[in-house]
Amino acid sequence: MELLKDQMNRIFIVFVSFLIIGMIYLFSYSLSKPEISRINNQTGKDLPEFENLVDLNQEIFDQEELLKGKVLLNVWASWCITCKVEHPFLKKISEENNLKIVGINYKDQLSDAISYLEDNGDPYDNSIFDLGGDYSLKLGVIGAPETFLVIDGKIVSHRVGELNRKIWERDFESFF
Amino acid sequence: MKVFFSLILLCSSLIFAEKLYSNLTEEEILRLDTISENIRCPKCDYGNINSSNAPISKDLKKEISYLISNGKSDKEIYDLMRERYGNYIILNEEIGKNNLLIYLPLIVLILSIGLVTIYTIKKRNET
Repeated sequence: MELLKDQMNRIFIVFVSFLIIGMIYLFSYSLSKPEISRINNQTGKDLPEFENLVDLNQEIFDQEELLKGKVLLNVWASWCITCKVEHPFLKKISEENNLKIVGINYKDQLSDAISYLEDNGDPYDNSIFDLGGDYSLKLGVIGAPETFLVIDGKIVSHRVGELNRKIWERDFESFF
Repeated sequence: MKVFFSLILLCSSLIFAEKLYSNLTEEEILRLDTISENIRCPKCDYGNINSSNAPISKDLKKEISYLISNGKSDKEIYDLMRERYGNYIILNEEIGKNNLLIYLPLIVLILSIGLVTIYTIKKRNET
């Protein structure tokens, strides 16, 4: 009887120890897991359809241009400092990779946008003039600069912020 | 002169405020306000689009007003925002699936305290 009691006590202690260890583990797990995820990246989504897109020449922009093959969509603006920082890199990759780059001129004045490209060079095949930011909003853009790699109308990579060599090699280069 | 200009400024801001969301009824403006209170500014870490001056917040508010005027329900608007930006965009998102994960350590703690107490009392009574 005494032996049984002793054994029961031991089982009890082991059980309580497991409970406490489990509790500590679960507590640390719930702390390490963020309750809410960060803002969604648009990777994996289809390009939104949009009517009446115009380019910087105020001519109708044919959206079919974005749906065929590989297109790098870059959101830029003349007022955006970070866009100025990434601009030389865009020029470099457009030369290096024979890449089709389409710009989305975001909430900018037409004359400012044109002078910006004249002063800094134009790495874009064409630029959509998105004065009100309506197309960018549908695309999930939260500010300039942002870059999307679109293959046959599907976004396969999305960068919020500056595009540089490191990001390019990590998130984009493997698609070429 | 100062008062005159201040009055002009005040009047112009009132006229502008009147023009904004003029296509919405009072009830719809209230809905817009409630939804905007609950949508996080995507550009900021904290704060809703009502309290943010970021251009994206203004655009989102404009879009929500457009959706409301087009007869979309609150759920449809939240779903659209969630689909585009993820759960992060909803400020008052219910924890839902994680409820158990959050309360489990507490349950285990209470259970452990109870068991240890019973064990101690039992042991003391025996001796």
